[in-house]
Amino acid sequence: MVLNQASLKRDGVQDYVSIRATATVLGLYVLFILGFFLVTPEVTYEVWTGLFSQLWMKIFTLLALLAVAIHARIGLWQVVTDYIKCSRLRAVVQFLVSVVAFSYVAVGLFVLWGV
Amino acid sequence: MFIALILVVWAWAVSLSSPEGFELVKSVMTSHFAKFLAWGTITVLLYHLIGGIRHMIMDLGYWEELSSGNTSARVAIGLWVVLAVLAGGWLWF
Repeated sequence: MVLNQASLKRDGVQDYVSIRATATVLGLYVLFILGFFLVTPEVTYEVWTGLFSQLWMKIFTLLALLAVAIHARIGLWQVVTDYIKCSRLRAVVQFLVSVVAFSYVAVGLFVLWGV
Repeated sequence: MFIALILVVWAWAVSLSSPEGFELVKSVMTSHFAKFLAWGTITVLLYHLIGGIRHMIMDLGYWEELSSGNTSARVAIGLWVVLAVLAGGWLWF
C-alpha cells in the first residue's frame, strides 16, 4: 500500500466511506430544510434568525457545511481525474475546489457566530 | 451545484445579517431570473439526492440485475421530474 505523502487521505476505501457518510448528513439536512419551509407558513426575519440562533441548528449547519466540503472535494476529485487529463490544470482546479470548499465552511462559521 | 452554492451561501449570510439584509434577499428572490436560478439549483440537487439514495441502495446489493436496475432508474427519473415540477410550482405560484 503506497502512502501518498502529498495527501491527507489514506485510501480509496476512506473516500468511499466519507462520501456516503457526508451524503447521509447532507440528505438529512436537505430534508430538514425542506420540511422547515413546508411547515412554516411565512418565513419572517424573526423566524429565520430564531431558527439559526439555536445551538443545535448552528451545529447541524456547521456539520452540513463541513460535509459539503468533504463530499464535494472527493466527488469533484473523482470528476477531474476522469475528465481533466492535463495534470497541471487538474491540480489548479483541485486547489480551487479545496479553497472554495473551505471558504464555505469559514463563511458559515462566522455567519453562525453572529446570529 | 458546487458553484451554485456561492449564491446560496450569499443569500443565507445576507438574510441572517440584518432585517434589511433579509428584505434585500426577499426582493432579489421576487425576480424571475433569481427564481429560475433557485429552481435550477433545487432541481439539480433533487436529481443528485434521488440518484444518490438509489446508488446507496444499490451498494446494499439491490437492483443489480438488468431489469431491476433499469426499473429503478426509470422510477428515480420519474420521481425527479415530478418533484422538479412541484419545486417550480412552489417557487412561482
